[in-house]
Amino acid sequence: MTSEQPAGPASPDAAPGVSRRRFLGGAGTAAAAGAGGLVLGAGGAAAVAVAAGAGAAHGDVSDVERLAADAAGSSHPFYGAHQGGVDTPPQDHLVFTAFDVSATSPVELQLVLAKWSAAMAELTAGRPVGKVEPSREQGVPVDTGEAFDMGPQGLTLTLGFGPSLFDGRFGLEKFKPTDFADLPAMAGEALDPAYTGGDLCIQACANDPQVAYHAVRNLARMARSQVTTKWTVLGFGRASAGPAQKTPRNLLGFKDGTRNISTPADYAEHVWAGREAGQPWMDGGTFLVARKIHMLIETWDEDTIGDQQAIFGRTKQEGAPLTGNAEHDVPDFHASLAGAPVIGAHSHIALAAHENNGGTKILRRGYNFTDGLDSVGRLDAGLMFLSFQKDPEQFIALQRKLGSSDRLNEYIRHVGSAVFAVPAGLPEAGHYYGREFFA
Amino acid sequence: MPTSTPPAAPAPSRWRTLAPSLLAGAAILALALTACGGAGSTDVEGAGSNGSAKAGTAPVSNGAAQVKVNVQKVNGEDQCVPDFSAAAAGPVTFTIANKDASGVSEVELLSDKRILGERENVIPGLKPVSFTVTLAGGQYQLYCPGAATENLAFTVTGGGSTAAAAGGAAALLKEGTDGYAKYVSGQVDSLVPAVAALKMAVDSGDVAASQKAYAAARPFYERIEPVAESFPDLDPALDLRVADVEPGTPWTGFHPLEKDLFEAKAITPATKALAAGIVKNVGTLKTLTAELEKKGDYKPEELANGASGLLEEVQSSKITGEEEAYSKLDLVDFVANIEGSEQAFEYLKPALTGIDPDLTTQIATQFAAVGKAMEGYKDPAGLGGYKAYTDALKKSDAAKLTQLVQSLQAPLARIAEKVATV
Repeated sequence: MTSEQPAGPASPDAAPGVSRRRFLGGAGTAAAAGAGGLVLGAGGAAAVAVAAGAGAAHGDVSDVERLAADAAGSSHPFYGAHQGGVDTPPQDHLVFTAFDVSATSPVELQLVLAKWSAAMAELTAGRPVGKVEPSREQGVPVDTGEAFDMGPQGLTLTLGFGPSLFDGRFGLEKFKPTDFADLPAMAGEALDPAYTGGDLCIQACANDPQVAYHAVRNLARMARSQVTTKWTVLGFGRASAGPAQKTPRNLLGFKDGTRNISTPADYAEHVWAGREAGQPWMDGGTFLVARKIHMLIETWDEDTIGDQQAIFGRTKQEGAPLTGNAEHDVPDFHASLAGAPVIGAHSHIALAAHENNGGTKILRRGYNFTDGLDSVGRLDAGLMFLSFQKDPEQFIALQRKLGSSDRLNEYIRHVGSAVFAVPAGLPEAGHYYGREFFA
Repeated sequence: MPTSTPPAAPAPSRWRTLAPSLLAGAAILALALTACGGAGSTDVEGAGSNGSAKAGTAPVSNGAAQVKVNVQKVNGEDQCVPDFSAAAAGPVTFTIANKDASGVSEVELLSDKRILGERENVIPGLKPVSFTVTLAGGQYQLYCPGAATENLAFTVTGGGSTAAAAGGAAALLKEGTDGYAKYVSGQVDSLVPAVAALKMAVDSGDVAASQKAYAAARPFYERIEPVAESFPDLDPALDLRVADVEPGTPWTGFHPLEKDLFEAKAITPATKALAAGIVKNVGTLKTLTAELEKKGDYKPEELANGASGLLEEVQSSKITGEEEAYSKLDLVDFVANIEGSEQAFEYLKPALTGIDPDLTTQIATQFAAVGKAMEGYKDPAGLGGYKAYTDALKKSDAAKLTQLVQSLQAPLARIAEKVATV
């Protein structure tokens, strides 16, 4: 079962004698099978076959169904030079979870990493991690089942190692990347320990929230005796754009990610780590910074449009820099009007722009989140900021500036924070993350 | 236990009624049974169909026939490929290596559906693992859940019968269930005088003495709760919480008594009636559990499910503080549930060690971890010997306790399948 298999709601539990893959080959496209599953809501291979056949015969699969089937059937390869979920065009939904390792021996950690790696390959291909319906009455389902037959949904799973994993507990000190440490305290933070740090993290991104949730739930479950969930954030709505994607908006109503990294050259220069990380396993890896940013939405909502636009340095609808007309016009930080800069020096884009930071860029890949109401009755919502960079120092330098003088700080609080070393991708089946640690 | 059958009306198990025909039949019958159980892909094929199994029987070294099972991709599909699909009767060692089949993580040797030996955590990239089973002549199956071909026929040539192969484990399991039956009876035997003492204290009108007697009686019940629950009328009569009382029906048993003793702190004629009711119902419980013991009616999977069910109890009503809402004795019940669970596990352990030693060790380690953590909550001055489970303690410690118990329940929930009598 390679990740290059035809995408679709694959399952090893096809009816006896009918291989799911053979069936898919016969039925034609994964999209058709997915549409059948969608129409019927659920059901086995036979039901899907009937629906897919009917759809093909009458050509009556609606555009909505076709789009949903495309989303369901799309998959990203699991094996490769880099992990998925970094240069993957951002999917619509996120489940981000940080874990602490409760196990005390290296062997247990090794087992978790090997199990996770194999299971991630299965999940990414849209397969369950084990039997949803065991044949023996007394069997406990291995896979929890809520994503059964939903297809891969473009799922990517990105694994990271926190600095604390390299303390003395597992004898991994010598595998720690150069200068890898918790982020330093910075201005503008009100960090809650309940949303800070972690030995491990998994970023699950998918076109469907249930598929992302299922993946993290099952990975956590298979390691329940060795690993505890420390914190988790459910992101709805991507707040960053990949190439060829329309720029989405954050919960403040502004486009986010307009000038994001998109070219291979930028990835090579700013995102993918190499030898400078000091560890062969990081060659092709990257560093993930996670910041849970609470937005003071109600007060922001009552701010004037003039002030909102001045804070960002962009217009709200178009997202154009205040010195331009269209979203992708290059901002002119030198332009002034009546002696004052058009884009204020303490506006968000002026402080974050690579032109004003010695060329520093980071890949932003954040998601909007909401957790209902906070303890004082405000909307508990904001941005799950996720960035990838070849050196955490890139983020630190930018955030030091933003944290101390960004006009946006009046409306945001960084409440959660973590940094993870994201190892390079696995070359092929038979390898697992962290294998070098246990040689 | 949740799946236990009340002695009066044994529910027919479709597995048990099917079993004799299965034993008489061939591999194709096993396929039919598995399919009707909703198993999914269950093609039974000779190992030779993958082209890799050599003809003849596996060579013997170190006193055992040696079979290598390669778990790997074959034409893009996950497969289990044994080098031999036959061995001579006697000890057989299966050494399993997963090269690159990410969809397979365990391999079992089955006689019909009974697990004779297995290894979990057969993960790509990790070192080969092995298990040894002593097999008599007959047909067996190598079961690789998740593989494109999940069931592979394995033939053992020579004397004896297939049924005899499972005999060792079956005898150990029978000893285990008999031992557990005695344990349950012993707990009920202790519960009888404990509730009699509770009734005496209540009848005397002494609230403080009644509270002590209440705390002393509870663990005997909580340790065997799954067995009590298997008698449909008895557990509601004895242990219902107020939230679970059907409107219009009387609330009886331990918890309304707890409310009088710990909330109202007053003994009324109704309180005395409650205590008398408990004594009467515990008497019935003694009769019923004695019958169970006499008939030898406990099944290994019931012990296993009961052990897991007790941990479910801990999570759903003790850690939440709902069980002993008035007395705050939740940690006393918590420890009793864990003890009862561990006892059931201990009685299965000799057989389980033969079937899956790794899992057995893992569960034992987790029980020890929970036991050690609970030491920290002991309080000689506290009622029942443990700290009161106050809102403050719940707030600071509940998440930690949940994690502890979940770490134990995850492996424990898997043993029912392994010891099931099918």
